[in-house]
Amino acid sequence: MVTKTITVDYLARVEGEGALDLTIADGKVTDAALRIFEPPRFFEAFLRGRGYEETPDIVARICGICPIAYQMSAVHAIEAAFGVKVEGALGALRRLIYCGEWIESHGLHIVMLHAPDFLGFTDGIEMAAVHGDMVRKGLALKKAGNEVLRVLGGREVHPVNVRPGGFHRLPTAAEVAGLAETLKRARDDAVELTRWVSGFPFPDIDLDYEFVALRHPDEYPFNEGRIVSNRGIDIDITDYENVFEERHVARSTALHSAIRERGAYLVGPLARYALNFDRLPPDVQNLAREVGLEPICTNPFRSIIVRAIEVVYACEEGLRIIAAYKRPERASLPLTPTAATGFGCTEAPRGICWHRYDFEPDGTIRTARIVPPTSQNQASIEADLAVVAGTMVDAPDEDIRHRCEQTIRNYDPCISCSAHFLKLTVDRQ
Amino acid sequence: MSEVGGKRILVLGIGNADRGDDGIGPLVIEALAGRLPQEVELQVRSGDLLALIDDWAGFERVIIIDAAQCLDAPGRVHRVDALHEPLPLPASPASSHAFGLPEALALAQTLGGAPAGVTAYAVEGEDFAAGAAVTPKVRAAVPVVTDRVVREVHRVLGGRVEAKSHA
Repeated sequence: MVTKTITVDYLARVEGEGALDLTIADGKVTDAALRIFEPPRFFEAFLRGRGYEETPDIVARICGICPIAYQMSAVHAIEAAFGVKVEGALGALRRLIYCGEWIESHGLHIVMLHAPDFLGFTDGIEMAAVHGDMVRKGLALKKAGNEVLRVLGGREVHPVNVRPGGFHRLPTAAEVAGLAETLKRARDDAVELTRWVSGFPFPDIDLDYEFVALRHPDEYPFNEGRIVSNRGIDIDITDYENVFEERHVARSTALHSAIRERGAYLVGPLARYALNFDRLPPDVQNLAREVGLEPICTNPFRSIIVRAIEVVYACEEGLRIIAAYKRPERASLPLTPTAATGFGCTEAPRGICWHRYDFEPDGTIRTARIVPPTSQNQASIEADLAVVAGTMVDAPDEDIRHRCEQTIRNYDPCISCSAHFLKLTVDRQ
Repeated sequence: MSEVGGKRILVLGIGNADRGDDGIGPLVIEALAGRLPQEVELQVRSGDLLALIDDWAGFERVIIIDAAQCLDAPGRVHRVDALHEPLPLPASPASSHAFGLPEALALAQTLGGAPAGVTAYAVEGEDFAAGAAVTPKVRAAVPVVTDRVVREVHRVLGGRVEAKSHA
């Protein structure tokens, strides 16, 4: 038996610390293991014994790229536990701040982290020498998204203005209106980026995913909806633990998620888009068709186009919210703590971010459980790696290594959040 | 080059005051308050430095104070012409999502818009633990770096502005 091992010690352009071991025996991939060795971060334990009001500020620290996702899932869980629903203009502001997060997170990933893979550059800086205009547009998108976070969240990273019930301070009408010009330019940049990335050379691979995302009666999902899949899951977010489970695997400090009955599933842009294409406005659907993206995309490498489409959508949705904005009468709704359990699930840029909190009668957190998107995708990442590497087992190790890293970056994994880089070992047996 | 609100020089302290010796940059900015002419803008930044590409557009000169990994002498100050010389190793390895100073500088030089001059004062640190204070040897470098920045600013401004007395 001829065996070889290919290892990537540290994957570049992902957040956090992980490694990949690939074993090839007799011309077949027999094992693809994503090892996450980022130290555990104990956020759920930090939350125990803290007051409910502190939650948004603590969970925002889980991630510098997607703090809003953690804050939104947390505040919705708290409000659900205490019987309050934030709707109307306050709910719209929450969608607007989420638009900002998708724009900055996707914008950075598309241009600085992912695009260089398709064009043969080692990084975004090298790529800037040839594609300076597109790098400028990507950076402008990141800045535009950050501006939304700054205006609504008080600052760009780890925002401080979100609270259970609403916000600490409402932006003035002028502050909100001031974002419109930024988002108009961002939308134009995003449309150009979409056309640019759709012309990249993509490996011809289609995979059989179970897509999981939120679905809402009217909206492309951010904060609300049922958890659905393309294989029949359609549940309230409170039923998540009945259908999904987390398993400990020795190679990872992030728990692996699975559908109890079937195993791996996929969350994030590909899933969200496939399950909610009909919720996109007609002009965004038309742009997707124009660039050759069908309503369901199963090629993980083409997720870069889906992200670009989602940025266009987030800009348009932000502009719609701004145009309709009327300052609410109060910045937040009053909450009365009670002994209860609350659930929250929202669409982080990388997929659903599910939270559960059990509260004491005075609102102190008794237990907390947080399931980030990247940990849910680990099994799918490993399955993708086995398939992708399997199509090129005779290629030089360096080519396999590069394609595997690219495969992982399709997910824009936030390993820090999940346990939270990459070491690839190819073992040829 | 155009001026930014009448400001010509940006003095930037990079670092996190809650990460031990990484706090040297913010400490020097604090010490510089009130000691520099009005053509000078003081700023503190931590984390993602990609935004610098915009922040420094329009300034003719940027002076940066940052912590560096220890070579062998905590508190030792290195002055680097950052556009033409390699920067010392940063205090913490750059995260892929948060870009560091070398990446921001390289990108600005590629895309255009880098300031005409970038000087970095890098101070060797020894302890970068979360929650730790700046160590005594590194703290002792604060007045040293502060005075050197004041002198450099006056050199850049061509000696037109009288140095303010030390408080």
